[in-house]
Amino acid sequence: MRKHLTWILPLAALPALWLLFQGMGVDKYELPSPLEGNTAPEFTLETMDGDTVALADLAGRAVVLNFWASWCIPCRQEHDVLKMTEATYDPEQAVVLGVVYQDTEQNARRFLAALGGDWTHLLDPTQRTAIDYGVYGVPETFFISPDGQIARKKVGPVTWDLVKPTLDSLIATQTSTAASLGGAE
Amino acid sequence: MSIMKRRLGSIAVLAAFLGAAPLVAQDAVPAQPEAPPQSDPALMDRAEEELDAKAAEIAAELRCPVCRNQAVVESNAELSREMQALVRERLVAGDSPDEVKEYFVSRYGEWILLEPQRRGINWVVWILPFLALAAGAVLAVILVRKWAAAGSGDEAAVEPAAVLSDENERWIREAIRNG
Repeated sequence: MRKHLTWILPLAALPALWLLFQGMGVDKYELPSPLEGNTAPEFTLETMDGDTVALADLAGRAVVLNFWASWCIPCRQEHDVLKMTEATYDPEQAVVLGVVYQDTEQNARRFLAALGGDWTHLLDPTQRTAIDYGVYGVPETFFISPDGQIARKKVGPVTWDLVKPTLDSLIATQTSTAASLGGAE
Repeated sequence: MSIMKRRLGSIAVLAAFLGAAPLVAQDAVPAQPEAPPQSDPALMDRAEEELDAKAAEIAAELRCPVCRNQAVVESNAELSREMQALVRERLVAGDSPDEVKEYFVSRYGEWILLEPQRRGINWVVWILPFLALAAGAVLAVILVRKWAAAGSGDEAAVEPAAVLSDENERWIREAIRNG
Protein backbone atom coordinates (compact mmCIF):
# COMPACT_ATOMS: atom_id res chain seq x y z
CA MET A 1 0.00 0.00 0.00
CA ARG A 2 2.68 2.52 1.02
CA LYS A 3 4.84 1.56 -1.91
CA HIS A 4 1.93 2.23 -4.24
CA LEU A 5 1.29 5.59 -2.59
CA THR A 6 4.68 6.90 -3.60
CA TRP A 7 3.71 6.78 -7.25
CA ILE A 8 -0.11 7.03 -7.05
CA LEU A 9 0.00 10.44 -5.39
CA PRO A 10 2.27 12.18 -7.92
CA LEU A 11 0.27 10.51 -10.67
CA ALA A 12 -2.98 11.83 -9.19
CA ALA A 13 -1.49 15.34 -9.15
CA LEU A 14 -0.78 15.22 -12.88
CA PRO A 15 -4.33 16.05 -14.08
CA ALA A 16 -4.42 19.03 -11.70
CA LEU A 17 -1.07 20.26 -12.99
CA TRP A 18 -2.25 19.80 -16.56
CA LEU A 19 -5.38 21.90 -15.85
CA LEU A 20 -3.24 24.60 -14.24
CA PHE A 21 -0.92 24.62 -17.24
CA GLN A 22 -3.87 24.86 -19.64
CA GLY A 23 -5.37 27.71 -17.63
CA MET A 24 -2.15 29.70 -17.76
CA GLY A 25 -2.07 29.43 -21.54
CA VAL A 26 -5.54 30.96 -21.94
CA ASP A 27 -5.81 34.57 -23.08
CA LYS A 28 -8.32 36.09 -20.67
CA TYR A 29 -9.48 38.53 -23.34
CA GLU A 30 -10.40 35.72 -25.71
CA LEU A 31 -13.76 34.87 -24.19
CA PRO A 32 -15.40 32.20 -26.27
CA SER A 33 -18.79 33.31 -27.54
CA PRO A 34 -21.43 30.75 -28.44
CA LEU A 35 -22.61 33.28 -31.01
CA GLU A 36 -19.59 32.98 -33.30
CA GLY A 37 -20.66 31.10 -36.41
CA ASN A 38 -24.33 31.66 -35.65
CA THR A 39 -26.84 34.11 -37.04
CA ALA A 40 -26.47 37.56 -35.54
CA PRO A 41 -29.43 38.40 -33.28
CA GLU A 42 -31.78 40.80 -35.04
CA PHE A 43 -32.31 44.25 -33.57
CA THR A 44 -34.13 47.46 -34.38
CA LEU A 45 -32.74 50.39 -32.44
CA GLU A 46 -33.06 54.12 -32.48
CA THR A 47 -30.04 56.13 -33.54
CA MET A 48 -28.81 59.18 -31.65
CA ASP A 49 -30.30 61.25 -34.47
CA GLY A 50 -33.75 59.80 -33.99
CA ASP A 51 -33.77 57.43 -36.97
CA THR A 52 -34.31 53.71 -36.68
CA VAL A 53 -31.83 51.08 -37.86
CA ALA A 54 -32.49 47.36 -38.13
CA LEU A 55 -29.73 44.82 -38.72
CA ALA A 56 -31.81 43.38 -41.56
CA ASP A 57 -31.47 46.70 -43.41
CA LEU A 58 -27.73 46.07 -43.68
CA ALA A 59 -27.92 42.62 -45.30
CA GLY A 60 -25.31 42.21 -48.01
CA ARG A 61 -22.79 44.35 -46.16
CA ALA A 62 -20.24 43.39 -43.53
CA VAL A 63 -21.08 45.04 -40.21
CA VAL A 64 -18.71 46.05 -37.42
CA LEU A 65 -21.02 46.24 -34.41
CA ASN A 66 -19.19 48.02 -31.61
CA PHE A 67 -20.59 48.31 -28.07
CA TRP A 68 -19.00 51.29 -26.35
CA ALA A 69 -19.38 53.93 -23.65
CA SER A 70 -17.88 57.35 -23.06
CA TRP A 71 -16.68 56.28 -19.59
CA CYS A 72 -14.72 53.37 -21.03
CA ILE A 73 -11.01 54.04 -21.46
CA PRO A 74 -10.26 51.15 -23.88
CA CYS A 75 -13.08 52.53 -26.07
CA ARG A 76 -11.06 55.72 -26.35
CA GLN A 77 -8.01 53.65 -27.36
CA GLU A 78 -9.81 51.85 -30.17
CA HIS A 79 -11.72 54.87 -31.45
CA ASP A 80 -9.09 55.78 -34.05
CA VAL A 81 -9.17 52.24 -35.43
CA LEU A 82 -12.92 52.51 -35.93
CA LYS A 83 -12.47 55.90 -37.56
CA MET A 84 -9.92 54.38 -39.92
CA THR A 85 -12.31 51.50 -40.65
CA GLU A 86 -15.07 53.89 -41.56
CA ALA A 87 -12.75 55.94 -43.75
CA THR A 88 -11.21 52.93 -45.51
CA TYR A 89 -14.21 50.85 -46.48
CA ASP A 90 -16.93 51.55 -49.00
CA PRO A 91 -20.17 51.82 -47.00
CA GLU A 92 -21.79 49.57 -49.58
CA GLN A 93 -19.37 46.83 -48.50
CA ALA A 94 -18.77 47.39 -44.80
CA VAL A 95 -20.35 49.63 -42.18
CA VAL A 96 -19.46 50.52 -38.62
CA LEU A 97 -22.30 50.66 -36.11
CA GLY A 98 -21.85 51.87 -32.57
CA VAL A 99 -24.15 50.84 -29.72
CA VAL A 100 -24.02 53.13 -26.70
CA TYR A 101 -23.83 50.90 -23.64
CA GLN A 102 -24.85 52.02 -20.13
CA ASP A 103 -24.26 55.65 -20.91
CA THR A 104 -26.26 58.82 -21.35
CA GLU A 105 -26.81 60.19 -24.80
CA GLN A 106 -25.36 63.50 -23.65
CA ASN A 107 -22.08 61.91 -22.56
CA ALA A 108 -21.89 59.89 -25.75
CA ARG A 109 -22.35 63.05 -27.82
CA ARG A 110 -19.63 64.83 -25.85
CA PHE A 111 -17.24 61.91 -26.44
CA LEU A 112 -17.94 61.95 -30.20
CA ALA A 113 -17.62 65.72 -30.39
CA ALA A 114 -14.18 65.47 -28.80
CA LEU A 115 -12.86 62.41 -30.66
CA GLY A 116 -14.77 62.49 -33.93
CA GLY A 117 -16.37 59.54 -35.69
CA ASP A 118 -19.59 60.10 -37.56
CA TRP A 119 -20.82 56.55 -38.14
CA THR A 120 -24.24 55.62 -36.86
CA HIS A 121 -24.61 55.25 -33.10
CA LEU A 122 -27.55 53.34 -31.69
CA LEU A 123 -29.15 53.66 -28.29
CA ASP A 124 -29.96 50.55 -26.27
CA PRO A 125 -31.53 51.95 -23.09
CA THR A 126 -32.96 48.62 -21.91
CA GLN A 127 -29.72 46.80 -22.81
CA ARG A 128 -31.77 44.08 -24.46
CA THR A 129 -29.55 44.14 -27.55
CA ALA A 130 -26.42 43.97 -25.38
CA ILE A 131 -27.83 40.94 -23.54
CA ASP A 132 -28.91 39.43 -26.86
CA TYR A 133 -25.29 39.64 -27.99
CA GLY A 134 -23.96 38.30 -24.69
CA VAL A 135 -22.09 41.50 -23.88
CA TYR A 136 -20.12 41.50 -20.60
CA GLY A 137 -18.60 44.93 -20.75
CA VAL A 138 -17.29 47.47 -23.19
CA PRO A 139 -15.72 47.57 -25.64
CA GLU A 140 -16.99 44.49 -27.38
CA THR A 141 -17.02 44.26 -31.14
CA PHE A 142 -18.87 41.84 -33.39
CA PHE A 143 -17.92 41.25 -37.01
CA ILE A 144 -21.07 40.30 -38.87
CA SER A 145 -20.76 38.79 -42.33
CA PRO A 146 -22.83 40.11 -45.27
CA ASP A 147 -25.12 37.09 -44.89
CA GLY A 148 -25.83 37.94 -41.25
CA GLN A 149 -23.53 35.50 -39.41
CA ILE A 150 -21.34 36.49 -36.49
CA ALA A 151 -17.88 35.78 -37.85
CA ARG A 152 -15.89 37.03 -34.88
CA LYS A 153 -16.33 38.59 -31.47
CA LYS A 154 -13.62 40.71 -29.91
CA VAL A 155 -13.61 41.57 -26.23
CA GLY A 156 -11.47 44.62 -25.51
CA PRO A 157 -10.17 47.26 -27.90
CA VAL A 158 -9.92 46.31 -31.57
CA THR A 159 -6.74 46.90 -33.53
CA TRP A 160 -6.29 47.61 -37.21
CA ASP A 161 -4.42 44.31 -37.47
CA LEU A 162 -7.60 42.56 -36.43
CA VAL A 163 -10.18 44.70 -38.22
CA LYS A 164 -8.56 44.80 -41.65
CA PRO A 165 -8.00 41.08 -42.31
CA THR A 166 -11.37 40.21 -40.75
CA LEU A 167 -13.31 42.66 -42.90
CA ASP A 168 -11.26 41.91 -46.01
CA SER A 169 -12.02 38.21 -45.73
CA LEU A 170 -15.73 38.89 -45.08
CA ILE A 171 -15.94 41.14 -48.11
CA ALA A 172 -13.92 38.68 -50.24
CA THR A 173 -16.26 35.85 -49.30
CA GLN A 174 -19.24 37.99 -50.22
CA THR A 175 -17.67 38.99 -53.56
CA SER A 176 -16.77 35.40 -54.45
CA THR A 177 -20.25 34.19 -53.47
CA ALA A 178 -21.80 36.91 -55.59
CA ALA A 179 -19.45 36.04 -58.48
CA SER A 180 -20.26 32.34 -58.28
CA LEU A 181 -23.97 33.12 -58.13
CA GLY A 182 -23.56 35.45 -61.09
CA GLY A 183 -21.69 32.74 -62.98
CA ALA A 184 -24.40 30.18 -62.26
CA GLU A 185 -27.12 32.39 -63.56
CA MET B 1 12.40 5.42 7.42
CA SER B 2 9.11 4.39 8.93
CA ILE B 3 8.69 7.88 10.43
CA MET B 4 9.32 9.37 7.02
CA LYS B 5 6.66 7.14 5.52
CA ARG B 6 4.25 8.06 8.29
CA ARG B 7 4.78 11.73 7.55
CA LEU B 8 4.15 11.15 3.88
CA GLY B 9 0.99 9.31 4.84
CA SER B 10 -0.21 12.17 7.06
CA ILE B 11 0.45 14.68 4.28
CA ALA B 12 -1.54 12.52 1.88
CA VAL B 13 -4.51 12.39 4.24
CA LEU B 14 -4.30 16.11 4.89
CA ALA B 15 -4.09 16.85 1.18
CA ALA B 16 -7.09 14.64 0.47
CA PHE B 17 -9.17 16.52 3.04
CA LEU B 18 -7.92 19.96 2.07
CA GLY B 19 -8.64 19.20 -1.55
CA ALA B 20 -12.22 18.30 -0.76
CA ALA B 21 -12.81 21.04 1.82
CA PRO B 22 -13.39 24.06 -0.47
CA LEU B 23 -15.86 22.08 -2.57
CA VAL B 24 -17.77 21.03 0.51
CA ALA B 25 -17.69 24.61 1.78
CA GLN B 26 -19.14 25.85 -1.51
CA ASP B 27 -21.95 23.34 -1.29
CA ALA B 28 -22.69 24.48 2.21
CA VAL B 29 -23.46 28.05 1.12
CA PRO B 30 -26.29 27.93 -1.38
CA ALA B 31 -27.38 31.05 -3.20
CA GLN B 32 -30.37 32.46 -1.41
CA PRO B 33 -33.11 33.50 -3.75
CA GLU B 34 -34.94 36.52 -2.50
CA ALA B 35 -37.91 38.29 -3.95
CA PRO B 36 -37.03 41.46 -5.84
CA PRO B 37 -38.00 44.72 -4.21
CA GLN B 38 -41.43 45.95 -5.21
CA SER B 39 -42.48 49.55 -5.26
CA ASP B 40 -45.97 48.87 -4.00
CA PRO B 41 -46.56 45.40 -2.54
CA ALA B 42 -50.23 46.15 -1.90
CA LEU B 43 -50.93 46.23 -5.61
CA MET B 44 -49.33 42.89 -6.31
CA ASP B 45 -51.68 40.02 -6.81
CA ARG B 46 -50.79 36.44 -6.09
CA ALA B 47 -49.95 35.52 -9.68
CA GLU B 48 -47.50 38.40 -9.88
CA GLU B 49 -45.90 37.33 -6.64
CA GLU B 50 -45.45 33.81 -7.94
CA LEU B 51 -44.00 35.13 -11.18
CA ASP B 52 -41.50 37.26 -9.27
CA ALA B 53 -40.53 34.30 -7.13
CA LYS B 54 -40.03 32.17 -10.22
CA ALA B 55 -37.99 34.89 -11.94
CA ALA B 56 -35.88 35.28 -8.79
CA GLU B 57 -35.34 31.53 -8.68
CA ILE B 58 -34.01 31.53 -12.25
CA ALA B 59 -31.99 34.70 -11.64
CA ALA B 60 -30.36 32.95 -8.68
CA GLU B 61 -28.92 30.41 -11.11
CA LEU B 62 -27.60 33.00 -13.55
CA ARG B 63 -24.21 34.62 -13.14
CA CYS B 64 -24.03 38.40 -13.16
CA PRO B 65 -21.73 39.06 -16.14
CA VAL B 66 -20.15 42.16 -14.62
CA CYS B 67 -19.66 40.90 -11.06
CA ARG B 68 -17.37 38.38 -9.46
CA ASN B 69 -19.17 35.15 -8.61
CA GLN B 70 -22.46 36.77 -7.85
CA ALA B 71 -25.90 35.68 -8.99
CA VAL B 72 -28.04 38.03 -11.03
CA VAL B 73 -30.63 38.07 -8.25
CA GLU B 74 -28.10 39.27 -5.68
CA SER B 75 -26.52 41.90 -7.87
CA ASN B 76 -27.52 45.51 -8.15
CA ALA B 77 -25.55 46.00 -11.35
CA GLU B 78 -27.59 47.64 -14.09
CA LEU B 79 -27.03 44.70 -16.42
CA SER B 80 -28.21 42.24 -13.78
CA ARG B 81 -31.36 44.24 -13.11
CA GLU B 82 -32.12 44.19 -16.84
CA MET B 83 -31.36 40.48 -17.02
CA GLN B 84 -33.81 39.75 -14.23
CA ALA B 85 -36.43 41.90 -15.90
CA LEU B 86 -35.81 39.94 -19.09
CA VAL B 87 -36.22 36.63 -17.23
CA ARG B 88 -39.60 37.85 -15.99
CA GLU B 89 -40.64 39.04 -19.45
CA ARG B 90 -39.74 35.70 -20.98
CA LEU B 91 -41.74 33.84 -18.31
CA VAL B 92 -44.72 36.07 -19.06
CA ALA B 93 -44.26 35.34 -22.76
CA GLY B 94 -44.68 31.66 -21.94
CA ASP B 95 -41.08 30.38 -21.78
CA SER B 96 -40.36 27.57 -19.34
CA PRO B 97 -37.57 28.15 -16.78
CA ASP B 98 -35.34 25.81 -18.80
CA GLU B 99 -36.03 27.76 -21.99
CA VAL B 100 -35.14 31.01 -20.23
CA LYS B 101 -31.84 29.56 -19.02
CA GLU B 102 -31.19 28.09 -22.45
CA TYR B 103 -31.60 31.57 -23.94
CA PHE B 104 -28.89 33.01 -21.69
CA VAL B 105 -26.62 30.04 -22.37
CA SER B 106 -27.04 30.59 -26.11
CA ARG B 107 -25.89 34.21 -25.65
CA TYR B 108 -23.18 33.97 -23.00
CA GLY B 109 -22.25 30.32 -23.08
CA GLU B 110 -22.59 27.86 -20.21
CA TRP B 111 -20.43 30.20 -18.15
CA ILE B 112 -23.57 32.23 -17.38
CA LEU B 113 -24.94 29.38 -15.24
CA LEU B 114 -23.59 29.43 -11.69
CA GLU B 115 -23.88 25.66 -11.53
CA PRO B 116 -22.62 23.59 -14.44
CA GLN B 117 -25.40 21.64 -16.13
CA ARG B 118 -25.61 18.02 -15.01
CA ARG B 119 -24.80 16.34 -18.27
CA GLY B 120 -21.90 14.85 -20.22
CA ILE B 121 -18.40 15.70 -19.02
CA ASN B 122 -19.91 18.07 -16.44
CA TRP B 123 -20.79 15.09 -14.25
CA VAL B 124 -17.09 14.98 -13.35
CA VAL B 125 -17.37 18.22 -11.35
CA TRP B 126 -20.42 16.94 -9.54
CA ILE B 127 -19.07 13.51 -8.72
CA LEU B 128 -15.33 14.07 -8.29
CA PRO B 129 -15.49 15.97 -4.95
CA PHE B 130 -17.48 13.16 -3.37
CA LEU B 131 -15.19 10.54 -4.88
CA ALA B 132 -12.18 12.46 -3.54
CA LEU B 133 -13.81 12.71 -0.11
CA ALA B 134 -14.60 8.99 -0.09
CA ALA B 135 -11.10 8.11 -1.28
CA GLY B 136 -9.64 10.37 1.42
CA ALA B 137 -11.77 8.72 4.10
CA VAL B 138 -10.81 5.23 2.94
CA LEU B 139 -7.15 6.26 2.85
CA ALA B 140 -7.42 7.72 6.35
CA VAL B 141 -8.98 4.55 7.75
CA ILE B 142 -6.39 2.34 6.08
CA LEU B 143 -3.49 4.47 7.25
CA VAL B 144 -4.78 4.82 10.82
CA ARG B 145 -5.21 1.04 11.04
CA LYS B 146 -1.72 0.49 9.67
CA TRP B 147 -0.26 2.97 12.12
CA ALA B 148 -2.07 1.35 15.02
CA ALA B 149 -0.80 -2.07 13.96
CA ALA B 150 2.69 -0.76 13.25
CA GLY B 151 2.69 1.19 16.54
CA SER B 152 2.63 -1.93 18.74
CA GLY B 153 5.26 -3.57 16.51
CA ASP B 154 7.51 -0.53 16.72
CA GLU B 155 7.37 -0.41 20.50
CA ALA B 156 8.53 -4.04 20.62
CA ALA B 157 11.33 -3.19 18.26
CA VAL B 158 12.40 -0.09 20.16
CA GLU B 159 12.24 -1.64 23.68
CA PRO B 160 15.25 -3.92 23.47
CA ALA B 161 17.42 -0.99 22.44
CA ALA B 162 16.32 0.90 25.56
CA VAL B 163 16.87 -2.08 27.81
CA LEU B 164 20.35 -2.53 29.24
CA SER B 165 22.39 -5.33 27.91
CA ASP B 166 22.99 -8.18 30.34
CA GLU B 167 26.63 -7.26 30.68
CA ASN B 168 25.93 -3.64 31.57
CA GLU B 169 23.20 -4.61 34.01
CA ARG B 170 25.55 -6.94 35.76
CA TRP B 171 28.21 -4.20 35.93
CA ILE B 172 25.75 -1.68 37.43
CA ARG B 173 24.39 -4.17 39.99
CA GLU B 174 27.92 -4.97 41.02
CA ALA B 175 28.80 -1.32 41.30
CA ILE B 176 25.76 -0.68 43.55
CA ARG B 177 26.52 -3.70 45.69
CA ASN B 178 30.11 -2.60 46.10
CA GLY B 179 28.91 0.87 47.07
